[in-house]
Amino acid sequence: MTSLGSSSSSTTEYVVRVPKNTSKKYNIMAFNSGDKVSCSTWTQARMERDMSNRRIYGEEESTDGAGGSEFGKKQREEARRKKYGIITKEFKAEDQPWILKVNGKAGRRFKGLKKGGITENASYYIFTQCADGAFEAFPVHAWYNFTPQAKHRTLTAEEAEEEWGRRNKVVNHFSIMLQRRLREQERGEEDEEEGEKGGKKKKKKGGRGGDLRIHDLENDLEISSDESDESMGEDGEGKAKTKKDKGPKGKGKKKKNSDLEGFEDSDDGDFEGLEVDYMSDESSSEEEEPEKTKPNKGEDVPKGIDEMSDSEEESEEENKNEEEAKEEEEEEDGKKTPVQVEKKKKKDSSGESESSEDSDIEGEAASALFMVKKRTPPKRGGGRGSVGSSRTGSRPGTPSIDNAATSNTLRAAANKLEQGKRQTVVSSSETPAAKRLKMDPSPQSSSGKSTPQPVSGKSTPSSSDVQLTEDAVRRYLIRKPMTTKDLLKKFQTKRTGLSSEQTVNVLAQILKRLNPERKNINEKMHFYLTE
Amino acid sequence: MSVKGQDVDLTRAKQNTGVWLVKVPKYLSQQWAKASGGEVGKLKIGKAQGKTVVSFNLNEELTVVECSGEKVSSVRTPREHPFAIQAVGGQTLAVFTESPDKVALEGMVVHRAECRPAVTESYMKLKKLQIEESTKPLRLSQRLDKAVTTNYKPVSNHSHSVEYEKKKKEEGKRARADKQKVLEMLFSAFEKHQYYNIKDLVDITKQPVIYLKEILREIGVYNSKGPHKSTWELKPEYRHYEEGQEDEEKLE
Repeated sequence: MTSLGSSSSSTTEYVVRVPKNTSKKYNIMAFNSGDKVSCSTWTQARMERDMSNRRIYGEEESTDGAGGSEFGKKQREEARRKKYGIITKEFKAEDQPWILKVNGKAGRRFKGLKKGGITENASYYIFTQCADGAFEAFPVHAWYNFTPQAKHRTLTAEEAEEEWGRRNKVVNHFSIMLQRRLREQERGEEDEEEGEKGGKKKKKKGGRGGDLRIHDLENDLEISSDESDESMGEDGEGKAKTKKDKGPKGKGKKKKNSDLEGFEDSDDGDFEGLEVDYMSDESSSEEEEPEKTKPNKGEDVPKGIDEMSDSEEESEEENKNEEEAKEEEEEEDGKKTPVQVEKKKKKDSSGESESSEDSDIEGEAASALFMVKKRTPPKRGGGRGSVGSSRTGSRPGTPSIDNAATSNTLRAAANKLEQGKRQTVVSSSETPAAKRLKMDPSPQSSSGKSTPQPVSGKSTPSSSDVQLTEDAVRRYLIRKPMTTKDLLKKFQTKRTGLSSEQTVNVLAQILKRLNPERKNINEKMHFYLTE
Repeated sequence: MSVKGQDVDLTRAKQNTGVWLVKVPKYLSQQWAKASGGEVGKLKIGKAQGKTVVSFNLNEELTVVECSGEKVSSVRTPREHPFAIQAVGGQTLAVFTESPDKVALEGMVVHRAECRPAVTESYMKLKKLQIEESTKPLRLSQRLDKAVTTNYKPVSNHSHSVEYEKKKKEEGKRARADKQKVLEMLFSAFEKHQYYNIKDLVDITKQPVIYLKEILREIGVYNSKGPHKSTWELKPEYRHYEEGQEDEEKLE
């Protein structure tokens, strides 16, 4: 102990040690004092690195092996990167952020981002006092700034924009998040039950979402949120139920009831009064039967008008289904009334695809996105089953004749439609605009497999304005001589909903049937018909 | 590296151990790294007029500075380093350690300090040395006496091109093989990848380009647009890739 000369001062000396061989790396965990973090209150904590950036850095290896890959693609990409001097930073696990979870699931979550440059000019050391009074100094390896992560729901960017647009109209801001939550629950339930309540939930979704809104607009607006949130929701029904139970605060609940006329608290029987989109999925038609009973059992019985409109819609759907089936069997086009033409066309492919999917996948949810997602398994299964050859190393000697392939698919599709018809009585009533928009891509996607192109002279209509039929071709050829290329241009894939290969095949068959006369104009073979 | 989702050892955090976070100049940490035994100096904590005064004294043997160049051991680091104590406020700092198998929380920071060297002659000299070192450019220009003439000499035929020509001669012109064989080669190639450049196919099959193109026209199609530009691929009826999209099966 040395004491300095000046009064009222005493100094104690401590030895300072810098231990050499620790494998432990010391890091700083910095919290904002506004977050009021006190480590002593932590009972349990878990920490792990946040590896979500790995896929950005580790360039995705796509399509190894046959389909879709190019020979020497990797080398070419590398050469290209070198040429342009693109240097991609490698993914260092050391530099990734930390995720800190305190006190288990119900506790707080923090994300810790590494602060760079702390060891550049000066070193930080941690001085701890040991039992023997000596100090030990450890160098600080890294500094992480931890920020708390929000546990409450937030709006996504699209929804925020939406709400911003409504800010002058919406009076009750508390219900915004409530409705969003309900929407998510419903979507989660869909996922879970695979559409058992699919139709109803969609209706429900349509119903909520805004306080002073007209139905149509509402439905339109919710499309984006639907699609963006589509992937959400492992939430089981139980969770949804509990949320509903405790969810809405008194104000919100009252508001909900008062604002949303005709909608009740129960799941059952909600939103039957909503306008139906005729493009709605038929897949839920299968579940519509059990579903139909449910609405009737609902606690608060839907109003009379709602029921009526519901049954109306259902009967309409029925009719459409039957017509669809008929079409499969007979010639098309002429019979359709103009009103139903568009709807039917859109429904056809969707219906076919769904009926085929029905058989493959029970109880599918009523959304095109599900259709798109689940398209691939049935497609593969269907395709293989229909053609019957397995993928082996054997080489194709001769090109396959489309006849066989398409007739198989036709048979398969016809069978499935039969099944579908038996099962489907009504389809769900969906939010009109949402479904319409979703259905639009579906014809394209599903037509590839599900829409059979019959060989034997029947051409099924696909959902579009221009259809690849014998009549249409005849009309063109009567008017003026055309080459095959011209004809193909007339039946563009985008409008007929067929892939280019199918178009070619079908066109070839039609031409065979028509047996037009040939003429060589400008060294090109033109076809024409004389009336 | 680090195990995923590990529980943080909170034992020391519970004891509410307080630690100091001290910023130390680079030269000092270098000296500390040289310490063998672990002890680097002494910390003096005292009170003067009500304020805590902390100062660190470097051990004698560690004051020797290794410097490159001429001035060996003429410069020494200062020994006295008063600490400037600061408040921690505005941030809650905790210390956690990461070892290969676990993560532990060591404690909370109660004081922040900066270790400042006492400004002495020796410190000034040390600093001067450092500045001199840092101002030296990394690259130097040197003057050469004689021009370098050995690098690029004119040559009638470069060695690598001699080799190349020899190789080509050996290989000879490509001969048209049997069509069936060529088809076999093509199909097996297309089983591995879907899209091929004509050059690569020529390489693989060792056929003259024209002949190969004829065969390709029979069984394949040329992509002039799209993501796989200017590549050849098999006609749809010949393909049967296991993708989700392409599912055309061929009928023999």
